[in-house]
Amino acid sequence: MGQAVSVRVRGNSSISASNEPLYVVDGVPITTGSQSNFGGATNPLVDLNPNDIESMEILKDAAAGAIYGSRAANGVVLITTKKGKSGKTQVTFNYQTGYSESSRRVAFANSEQYATLLFEGAKYLDDANGIPTNDPGSDTEFLNGFFDYNSYGQWAANKTKTYEWQDVVFQKGAYNQADIQFSGGNENTKFFASGQYLKQGGIIIGNELERMTGRLNLDQKVTDWLTIGMNMNFARTYNRRLPDDNAFSNPLQSVALPPLTPNVIPVGQPGAGLPAGTPPGDLQIPIYYNPQITVDYSRFAQESFRNFSSSYATAKLLPGLIFQTEFGFDVLSQTEEGYFQSQTRRNQTRATRGLGTNRSTFIMNYNTNNYFNYTKKFGKSDLSATVGMQYQQSSTRTNFTEGLDFPSDSYQKIASAATISGGSSTETQFRFLSYFARANYKFADKYLLTLSGRIDGSSRFGANNRYGFFPAVSAGWILSEEGFLKGIEVISFLKLRGSYGIVGNSEIGNFPQLGLYTGDASYVGIGGQRPSQIGNPNLRWETNKQFDIGIDFGFFNNRLTGEIDYYNRRSEDLLLNVNLSSTTGFNSVVRNLGSLENTGFELVLNSQNTVGAFKWNTSFNIAANRGKVLNINGQIITGGLAALPNRVQEGQNIGVFYAPEYAGVDPANGDALFYKNTANPDGTIDRSTVNNANYSQAARTVVGDPNPDYVMGLTNSFSYKGIDLSVLFSAVLGNDISIYGLGQYSSANAIYEDNQTADQMARWQKPGDITRVPQARYYAGNGNQASSRFIVDGSFVRLRNVSLGYTLPKSLLNRVKLDRVRIYVTGQNLALFTSYPLWDPEVNADSFDSNIAKGNDFYTPPQPRTILFGINIGL
Amino acid sequence: MKKNIIITSLLALALLGIPFGCADRLDIKPFQSQASDVGLKTESDLVGTLIGAYDGLQDTDSYGGDIMLLSDLWANRAHLRFRGTFAGLVQIASITNTSTSSVITTDNAWARDIWANAYRTINIANLVLENLSLSVGAVRPTNTVQGEALFIRGSLYFELARLYGRNWQDGDPNQNLAVPLVLTSTPFEENKLTDANLPARATVAAVYAQAKADLTLASTLLPSSNLHYASKWAALAQLSRIALMQGDFAAALDASNQVIQSGVYTLAPAFNDLWFNFINFGGVAPKEYVFYMRMTQQDGTNGLNTYYGATISSIPGTAGRGDCDVQTAFVNLHETADVRRGYFQVTSRRLSRKHLDRFGHVPVIRLSEMYLTRAEANFRLGSTTGDTPLNDINRVRNRVGLANLAVVDLAAILLERSLELAFEGHRLHDIKRTQGVTLGSSATAPNGPAWNSPKLILPIPLREIEVNKKLVQNEGYQ
Repeated sequence: MGQAVSVRVRGNSSISASNEPLYVVDGVPITTGSQSNFGGATNPLVDLNPNDIESMEILKDAAAGAIYGSRAANGVVLITTKKGKSGKTQVTFNYQTGYSESSRRVAFANSEQYATLLFEGAKYLDDANGIPTNDPGSDTEFLNGFFDYNSYGQWAANKTKTYEWQDVVFQKGAYNQADIQFSGGNENTKFFASGQYLKQGGIIIGNELERMTGRLNLDQKVTDWLTIGMNMNFARTYNRRLPDDNAFSNPLQSVALPPLTPNVIPVGQPGAGLPAGTPPGDLQIPIYYNPQITVDYSRFAQESFRNFSSSYATAKLLPGLIFQTEFGFDVLSQTEEGYFQSQTRRNQTRATRGLGTNRSTFIMNYNTNNYFNYTKKFGKSDLSATVGMQYQQSSTRTNFTEGLDFPSDSYQKIASAATISGGSSTETQFRFLSYFARANYKFADKYLLTLSGRIDGSSRFGANNRYGFFPAVSAGWILSEEGFLKGIEVISFLKLRGSYGIVGNSEIGNFPQLGLYTGDASYVGIGGQRPSQIGNPNLRWETNKQFDIGIDFGFFNNRLTGEIDYYNRRSEDLLLNVNLSSTTGFNSVVRNLGSLENTGFELVLNSQNTVGAFKWNTSFNIAANRGKVLNINGQIITGGLAALPNRVQEGQNIGVFYAPEYAGVDPANGDALFYKNTANPDGTIDRSTVNNANYSQAARTVVGDPNPDYVMGLTNSFSYKGIDLSVLFSAVLGNDISIYGLGQYSSANAIYEDNQTADQMARWQKPGDITRVPQARYYAGNGNQASSRFIVDGSFVRLRNVSLGYTLPKSLLNRVKLDRVRIYVTGQNLALFTSYPLWDPEVNADSFDSNIAKGNDFYTPPQPRTILFGINIGL
Repeated sequence: MKKNIIITSLLALALLGIPFGCADRLDIKPFQSQASDVGLKTESDLVGTLIGAYDGLQDTDSYGGDIMLLSDLWANRAHLRFRGTFAGLVQIASITNTSTSSVITTDNAWARDIWANAYRTINIANLVLENLSLSVGAVRPTNTVQGEALFIRGSLYFELARLYGRNWQDGDPNQNLAVPLVLTSTPFEENKLTDANLPARATVAAVYAQAKADLTLASTLLPSSNLHYASKWAALAQLSRIALMQGDFAAALDASNQVIQSGVYTLAPAFNDLWFNFINFGGVAPKEYVFYMRMTQQDGTNGLNTYYGATISSIPGTAGRGDCDVQTAFVNLHETADVRRGYFQVTSRRLSRKHLDRFGHVPVIRLSEMYLTRAEANFRLGSTTGDTPLNDINRVRNRVGLANLAVVDLAAILLERSLELAFEGHRLHDIKRTQGVTLGSSATAPNGPAWNSPKLILPIPLREIEVNKKLVQNEGYQ
């Protein structure tokens, strides 16, 4: 929980630089990078109470984003928190309770099926080696011993007993949340105050989140020309974390354990009653480490304190001229503390006598905006102009200590560690300095024109190219105000708009301009340094040229409204991590190189289907984005799994999967086949196939695209008297997902002793069998290699949210002196329609996630299905 | 009102002006790294860089374990089964002659990482060698610094030539390709990279010659004793290995004899004293180690422990994945009284006890290897320099509880070598230089690929082929 999510506004605009939008809370760009040092990435946005948000605006096109200049290349998410209103103080109380659970299971082989597959594989090998299967040296005999050993000797007696490891892993997590909000004020003073407590159990054992937040937003009119205000938010978030997905101690990896290994050590064995593999039981059972031991005998908690605060002063200097100054902080103070008891030593190999870790992270991010705004009306013209500057500085400091050899597991603070085995402190910083100007002009309420320009400087570039200039222009024409449309009753509103602008991107990490030595290369207690980076002193801003044209409309007295947009975004001088020949001693260098393009359509429709006592509203949105890498000068850029990488390739979308194409199974002998796909001398493609022995001859090619073709949402909301119902479906269509992370072990026709997904039972068994699953071959590659066999369609339609509420009638409430009482029930992720074979098509593997590496499933858990009951009371 | 406006305007200008006046605020220096133009300026920086080269050598991709691991795993199913799930190692371990066998793919992670880490470390060694003028001998003698950097570079080129190129006796080493020779450091600025930073493969002869030249010079510069760093004798021991690979027994004899007669190293009294360095000896290395990668609780990962070791309930401090399962056929090669015959830990697999210790050191060269090399070289040359082959072999035998042999032949010497140095990275190279045959997987297919099979040579990593068009792929991987 509290995991990172990737947000893409209109596709990926960059390859190596960040694609995450800029988040601005009440004028302050906030820290959103993950600060996690254990497990998957976390999202610092979790510290914001969603109920404090008044509005969230996503700035997509260049003109809207231009005021944020360089920072807007990936869009801007403007979050404004609630403000007080003068009048009677409103008090609202809200309480929700419910639970979350895993929304989906994956079918794995049972003990009988598992043994059948492995014995088939071993027989194949024994036959090939000319060893009778009953020979003591045969692989079949080895497996007999293996099954017995790994079932604590129980397999021979009961070969059908199956232990379901997914049952151990998933749990029902309780969800409880209480909120209180106060809002009010008078002519001069307005306030909004809130508090929230949330406690949420994860759907996977060992995962838990607790959060407390408080907020006070205050606006004070000091004199008739000066207003000041301050927004203050503090949060404490406690997150009991899990190891990341590429770890044996990740609970979901226990699906790989043999189904014949008991979850709990059987009676009569050392350690009876404890989770399998717990000392004093045999540490070598199960075959891989049992993650439940980590859940039971270690803890890893991330606790963060967060303060977002901003203050402002607005002065009316002259009629129409104001000056505003804003100053904001975002302070994140986080500790991550872990202790691994000796029981976990098969996994935490240095925890023989306990292992303690403690890491603190302190991020101080401050920002100031200062600008003048001038508005003037003359005749039919409206003019508004802004000029100002912005400065942001963010510094990150970390400390780390690790200790070994504790007197006992009762001592878990590093003060008791006999050996300090690790320690570190780090610091890094970035700064931005920007100047901006913008003018809006409106004529006769029909014609709109905006011009803006911004100069941005970043500490991430060398002195030569530190500053970039980012201009934008936009124009609008409200046709419905024109005489020739005034008479048409059907049209209530019609506006044409267009914009063009340039924004920049510098989100590439700090100090890429410098060649560096890093002093982390010690050997046996003597400090050492190593060259760690080739610098590029000529680096400059990645630029993003955006063109947008759109229509806003309202028909039938605005009962049907909507927006249609077409856009084209072209990124140039891409900041690329370009692979170098390793003979240089370096793997990559950052260069400005090449270009890519995103083009798309967006449509939003809102309709009031019925009005009156029974209200039915429908809202529909669809977005289609096509990304294309135009030019990267022939560089090879890859991410994700090394064997089945996401790749950046000219003419393709970013992050396409690149591997040999799977050609199914040879019906004659059960061999996995791959298309050669090499070019013939005459230019045609050789579609002949090769088997495992000549796998290297099969050319790698684009076998999938993790980027969706369409993203859709459909909300229907109904209300009748006090009853309200809202149903949200969301859909993603046309994206591919690589399941190679799990598939190379567990959907690989039993090459290893990992349990297999049930679909592997369709393996080839005898000549003539037609199937896509090759013959089981124990420890002999047969289709386990990277190929399009492991690329699957990730399209899905999901019933994301259903909410049913009932607001008690006023007549009843007046008697108990309450303003408003609503009771409701909400269900999230109630249904999923997809052909995706693993837990959930909404994947982002913790270990391999990057700009390029999208759509990789590596034992990724499903989205939780959450049912909540709530009550909302207004005093 | 007017006054307020003036005050506010002044305040506004001041606020705008603070950062305006400080455009150089954007010029910040890194906090935990050093810019390349200031990072290597003093003798301390130079020695720190040399330590960085040792750190590279200690990496699991190099002498931290993987270079040795491959040699014992490769096409050795009848003696050592790999039961882990690292596809790259499964490929290497499953190489046999049968058509069903796995193949090593060009994206094999071990082929990729051994290559990359070796060159990363060579670049550091080159930086040291180019900046020796910074040394005034106050921190460390200049000769020692130079000798150590040469030792590291020469050792890595030797290993790369053996892994990525054909064997010395296989065809013409002046024609066969090994790996690119990079002898100058890479510039730190992107705009200074040139075509020279995309080098072609040098011949096997050229890479061997470079390794020999580096190690020979190192052996004259290095001191006789140098803590856990490279000594004169470590350089000579490496030269004895090169000589063996080249079939130059006179040179192998001379070098190994010098190491033995230095008197700096002694055979450990008991075989068990060679292992469990941390668990039993608190990290003190046995006197028998001529060169080793030292592990501490703070630094380093013993890569051999990772795959050969396992967490054994009864021996606190053990760890590992338990992937390397020693087969009965290998055990049966030992005589009954041989201590080494029982030097296994049996779980659901049979694990060598050599690498169970989580913080044990990784031996690279032991004195017993020098006795075995001297015995073999003397036997082949018909000489008795230092001692007779029989006495040298009996020295090694006596330590593991075996009685003296009366006579030795080459087969006995090579068998003793394979038992004594098992799982320490010698096997494949010994098969190649003695032009033997690897083991097949079974009775009907007793033989695996022959010593000169392309299946026993790593592919040039796919990643490197893709970025450097001058690299020619090895046979069997095109």
